[in-house]
Formats: sequence, C-alpha cells, structure tokens
Amino acid sequence: MAYAAKRLVTMIPVLIFLSIIVFSLIHLIPGNPAQVILGQDASPSSIRALEMQLGLNLPLPEQYLSWLGGILHGNLGRSLLDNQPVSQLILQSLPVTAELAVGTIIVAIAIAFPLGILAAVYRDRWADAVTLFVSTIGISVPPFWLGMIFLIEFTVRVHWFPSSGYEPLWSHPLRNLSVMTLPILATGFREAGVLLRMLRASLLDVLDQDFIRTARAKGISGWKVIFHHATKNALIPVITTGGLQIAGLLGGIVITETIFSLPGFGSLLVESVFSRDYTTIQGTALVAALAVVVVNLLVDITYGLVDPRMRK
Amino acid sequence: MGMRKRSKYFAVSTLALLSLGTITACGTSTSTTSPPSSPAVNTSNQTLNIGLSADPPTLDPAYSSALVDRQVMFNLYDTLFQLSSKNTIIPDLVKSYTVSPDGLTYTLQLHQHVKFQDGTPFNAAAVKFNLTRDMQPASARHSSLADVTNVTTPSTYTVVIQLKKPLSPLPAILAGRAGMMVSPTAVQKEGSNYPNDPVGTGPFEFKSRVKGSTIKLVRNPHYWRAEPKLSAVTYRIFTDPNVELTNLQSGAVQIVDTVPPQQVSSMEQNSNFTVVNHTGLGYEGVYLNVKQGPFTNLFLRQAVNLAINRQTLVNVALKGVATPANSPFSAASPVYNAQEDVPPTASTSEMKRLLSEGGKPHGFSFTLQSANDPVTTQVDQIMQSMLAQYGIQMKIEQLDFGTLLANNEAHNFQASFLGWSGRLDPDQNVYSFFYKNGALNASQFVNAQADTLLNQARQESSMAQRAKTYAAFVQIIQQQVPYVFLYHQNNVFAYAKTVQGFHYYSDGVIRAYGLSLS
Repeated sequence: MAYAAKRLVTMIPVLIFLSIIVFSLIHLIPGNPAQVILGQDASPSSIRALEMQLGLNLPLPEQYLSWLGGILHGNLGRSLLDNQPVSQLILQSLPVTAELAVGTIIVAIAIAFPLGILAAVYRDRWADAVTLFVSTIGISVPPFWLGMIFLIEFTVRVHWFPSSGYEPLWSHPLRNLSVMTLPILATGFREAGVLLRMLRASLLDVLDQDFIRTARAKGISGWKVIFHHATKNALIPVITTGGLQIAGLLGGIVITETIFSLPGFGSLLVESVFSRDYTTIQGTALVAALAVVVVNLLVDITYGLVDPRMRK
Repeated sequence: MGMRKRSKYFAVSTLALLSLGTITACGTSTSTTSPPSSPAVNTSNQTLNIGLSADPPTLDPAYSSALVDRQVMFNLYDTLFQLSSKNTIIPDLVKSYTVSPDGLTYTLQLHQHVKFQDGTPFNAAAVKFNLTRDMQPASARHSSLADVTNVTTPSTYTVVIQLKKPLSPLPAILAGRAGMMVSPTAVQKEGSNYPNDPVGTGPFEFKSRVKGSTIKLVRNPHYWRAEPKLSAVTYRIFTDPNVELTNLQSGAVQIVDTVPPQQVSSMEQNSNFTVVNHTGLGYEGVYLNVKQGPFTNLFLRQAVNLAINRQTLVNVALKGVATPANSPFSAASPVYNAQEDVPPTASTSEMKRLLSEGGKPHGFSFTLQSANDPVTTQVDQIMQSMLAQYGIQMKIEQLDFGTLLANNEAHNFQASFLGWSGRLDPDQNVYSFFYKNGALNASQFVNAQADTLLNQARQESSMAQRAKTYAAFVQIIQQQVPYVFLYHQNNVFAYAKTVQGFHYYSDGVIRAYGLSLS
C-alpha cells in the first residue's frame, strides 16, 4: 500500500508537466471554442465578444493557473461548449471505456491462454499452425472491419444483439451486457492475437530452460510442468504486454466506440479536440494519464504476485 | 463536409414568396394562420428513435451554429414564423403581422394562451427578451439581426420591430433560429447552464441527455396546438453514417437524418424503408483567395473554374446524390435560374488561352485546404487529377474543421474547400459571402457592382424582381470567380415503413410533431 501511495505521489510532477504540455499544445492549434460555437458565419466582432464571455481573452498563464487552482480544489472545470461539469462528462464516459477495456482483456486472456499454451506445447505441429493462423488474423484484421461485420451479421441479419443503445451496467445490467458483447469480442479478438504470440514466445523460452528439464526429470507430469512451472515463469512479459494493451485501450478505443455507438472516453476526447473545448480536453487528458499510471501500478503489483522475487 | 454542415434554413417556393412580396409591398395587409385546433387528449405510448449524424453542440438557439442542432431544436421550440411543408413561410407563434409601406416596421400580433413548457406565459415581453438576447454581440444570431434597431411591446401580445433599412428576408430569418422562443424564466434561472435544461413552447419538452449518445424529449402535455401523437422522441447519435444506417436496418432507430451516397440506391430498393432524396438549398465549392498567391490573377481563377468537370465529380464521389452547380442558388431556391446554374465545359484551347493570359502557359501550382471526411477527400483527388491535365498542380492539405474555419476567417489560404448548407432566403446564401468585408467573404472579394446588386435585392420586396437582381449578380460572380461552385448537396433521409405522417421540409429538418408509429 505504502509502495502504491509512493508511486502515485511521485506521479504528481509528471501530471503537472503533462498538463502544461497539453494546455500549450491545444492553444497552438488554430481555432478556438468561440469560433467553433459561433460557426462559419460569425463576424470577427461576435467571436471576440464570445471569447471575452468565456474568459479566453485572458493571458494564457492566467488561464492555466486558474484551471490548475480548480484541480487542486478537486474541480475539473466546466465544458466551454455547454457548461456541463467536466468531471460529470468523464464520470459518464470513463466507465464505458473501462468496461470495454476490462471485457477486452478477459476475452483476450480466455482466447490467448489456452491457444498460446497449446501452440508452445505442440510447437511446429498442426496445433501451432492453427494458432498462428488465428493470431495472425486477430492482429491483422482491422478492428473497425471486424466491428462492422459483427454489427451487420448479429444486429441486422440475425437480431441477437442490439446495434446501439448503451445503458450503464449498474442501472440496466442485462441491456448493458447485450450492448457490450459485440464490441468486447471485436476488440478482444485483436488483443488476443497479440497476447497469444507473446505467451507462446515466452513459454518456448521458458520450456528450454534447465529447471523445466529438472522438473521433468523428477517425474512431474507433462501438463503439471507446463502449468505450475513453465506458464507462471512465462507470465512476466505477457503481463507487461497486457498492461500496455489496457493503457492503450483506455487512451481511446475510438473506432470501436464509434461503430457500436458507445459514449466512451475516447470519443469524448476526440470530440472535445474537434470543438476546441479546452477545459474538457485538459480534464480528459489528465484523467487518461492518471489511468495509465494506475494501470502501470497494477501491472507492477501483479508482477509481485506472480513472481515473489520481484517484491523486493 | 457531411458531418459538419452548417445551418440550413428554409426554402420558399417562388410563388409563395412572390405573393408574400406583393402583400408586403402594399404595406397594410395581414397574413394569418388558422386558429390552433382544439387539444385532444393523447394517451399513446409511442417512442420514436431518430438517428442523428452528429452530437448537437448546443440546444440554445442563441449559440447554435451546427446544422444538427436544429434537428432537435425545431421539436423543442416553436418559431415566430415557420416553413410549411408546402415550402412557404407562414406565421407560427405570430398570429398575424403587418409591414409598414417603407418596409422599416414590422408589427407582429402573437397567439394568446401559449405557455412555455415551464409554465411561463408566452407574450410580447418574451419575444422582446429573446430578440434582445439574440442581438447581443456574442450571440450566433447577431449578424442575421444586425439591421434591427429596436424592439418594442405596445401591448401584451403586440411586438413592433424597427429596422435600419428594408430587409425582405426578415420573416424567413424569424422562421429560423432567430425566431425560436426560449423561456425567459429558464434562461434567467439557469444562466450559462441553460443549454442543459432548455425550455421552449414546442410540441416536445427536454427530458435528458447523455453527451455523445442520446437526447430524450417527451410529449408536451400542454402544447397549444393538438397534442403530439408520439409520447417521446429519442435522438441517438451516430458519428459514422454507415453505422447510422446499420442502426436503421437493425431497428434501433426508425428515421435517419442522412444516408451515405453509395447506399442510397440499395436503400431505395429495400421495401422496408422509404428514402427521401431532394436537392437542398446549399452548395459546396472552393474559395479562391483573390488577395494572396496565384489567384490574385483573374485568368488563373477562371482557368481553375473551367477545368473542373462537375458532373464527373458528382457521379464519382457522390454517386449522383447531388446536383452539379455553377451558382449559389439550387433548384430548391425561389431565385433558381436553371440556365445560370449549368457548369462550364472545358476546352483545351480555352484552357490554353486562360493560362497564357494569366502568365502561366505551362501551368502553376497552388494548395487547397479542405476537411478530411471520405467524400471530401475523394472530391479533392478528382479535382486534383482534372487540374493536372492542364498542368495545374494542386496540393491537398486536409485539416480538421476547427482549423479550416480559423484559416478561413484569417484568409490564411490560397484555395479553401468549404461549402454552405444553404438557407431559406437567397440573401442568406450570398450577402455575407461576397459583400465587401462580409463575415463569410473568405476570398476577400471586392466588387462595387456586386455590392450594389446585393443591397438592392435586400430592398426589393417582390421575389420576381429579386430573382432578376440576383441573376445579374451571379453573372459578375461567374466572371470574377472568387468562389468555384461545385455542386448542390441533397437532403437524404430514410425511414422505416412503420413511420406514419412523414413530410419533407426543404430545410432538411425532421418534424416529429405529426409523426406516429404503426
């Protein structure tokens, strides 16, 4: 716990640095919220008037410090577009993406582990070839294509799943699961491909090591060696890859969110950039960074659980 | 630029505005709507799901600029005037009105017994509140009401609008967002939070919204006309048009506000759906910056205009779901001139002549900035190859919409691909685009004769007369080429056969009032 807390505290300067970078970059892009709100036919004087109303005429350091002051008081500010609290927008969208990410990893593990182990055990035989084929397809088929195919097959041709209409898990659990199934499968399949290759390679590496030969020599049965000795030791690189995958997913599974009409975090970030909604961009970027930090932390903790030597 | 089309107001048939023009010219006559029909108790429990191609940025008409906002707002708010499904402008919240002989004073009589959804009475004070709010410099309505000098309320249900100079488009303007009446009580109570809890007098009231996902409206049980047949309308947001269409096919929504061009013909053949496909009021095209780069040269502007074959563009990039253009006025416009809208045909000799007179006999190069959606990308590439045939090298620079707008406002481009979704009155499709220092005059075009004609058309009350003035104006634009008109976009909807009572409105907005499900 103390370790986790320490890790989080050391992240604070990183987050502040990141917020300055995001703030500066977004102000470097041409266009501002006033212009986007008033649109194509706005006169320059109208744009200036709205900029004043939104506080965009203040010097940039002043705007930044006032935003940072809000953060320190636990206030992420309000959307420049419609005045909704940014925290509320994030609380609405983050669970969608988090659920998608967690579901994706569960599906990926469910596919990758059995197939990865099979591939390593039956190396260079037909099971390995089939697995290689599956993982190559998983990696190379674009998720948007798979998503569209799922959507057309399972919501239009046969009405097994709804094509849209997300509801939160805690208020409409059944509806939620039926809407989330296809997107989770679509992204899960791809991530499984990556994870599978990683697991196979790592397992092959471990299986060639001396302690496995020793275990076998001691008469431990083949599968027991695989599960108890080899897989456990092969997990470290797999967990690292999985952690990176989750972090990547949180950063925005925008395309999957778009295809399945999920009001997720990635879509929020992209839309806020398009509309130059500075406060929302800053808030979401900060939370995304924080999410990556937390995932890395979880990965580190998992290392410790899998390999006690790493706790030191 | 499908997703980001800006507002599209109402089309008015030539005949309708002709008669309106004749009436206003007399200065004394009145136009009235039939009295509201007696409210009937409605207990149906039907929810209509409508697919929208973008998330409406705001539901506050004073700050709205996106086309898609109006899909929701026209069902939430009533307007002072309205577009009828017969393509005419008729009073809505206004019961009758008169125009002074000099065209400078509009006197509006309002319907009585109308209430906002929060119970606030609708009256002259509410109209004054709304117009004053819209006239603030920071409002998106500021420019369209710039000629209003004063709004007074001589009695509870009478509003008088004073103008700086005659403005024949005024009823049309007040049939759009400037005429949408928001509850003064709600605005005062909510302040800047108003867009999250909007209140109008319309047939449906706001219930809830999840950003990027859904907007829910429910029936206004106290609507001043007959109660709507639907009990609720839910808008679902789909930022990809193919996904939107798939959701229509899966039954998640019953109406979609757009159909991708390549899907139109297959949807037309599907017996479960009805496709509505009509020429809209807008145009797509390219601004040529006359103060910077190669296009300071008139001959080079003319060469680019001549080199692009619009019919091929429309056939290939838009699968025929658009109309080739050569003027700002489409067939849906009251001042449409079929002959003037025919695109030019390029000939090698004429191209050679223009290029050599422009001092670039072997061609030249320029950069086009454009949006980055799939259709625009295709149009860009086709234009690029058409121009290359004559030695004109066009570099394509794709930008996001915010950057494109910022560059346009700063005149920071050589050529800029940006269209206009079109509005009811012809004035709103040309004035600020081609008038000296107009807000939309990205090309920095200045022509005294064109300015005179634009002002003249604003003062003419007969649409037939205005059509002649605009024809003369279009000739100047075609000769000077500050803008290359490429095509008029179509309004395309599709809806399930279960939807009853659908009427097409030329502004491209779906009116849920009057719709029901079988």
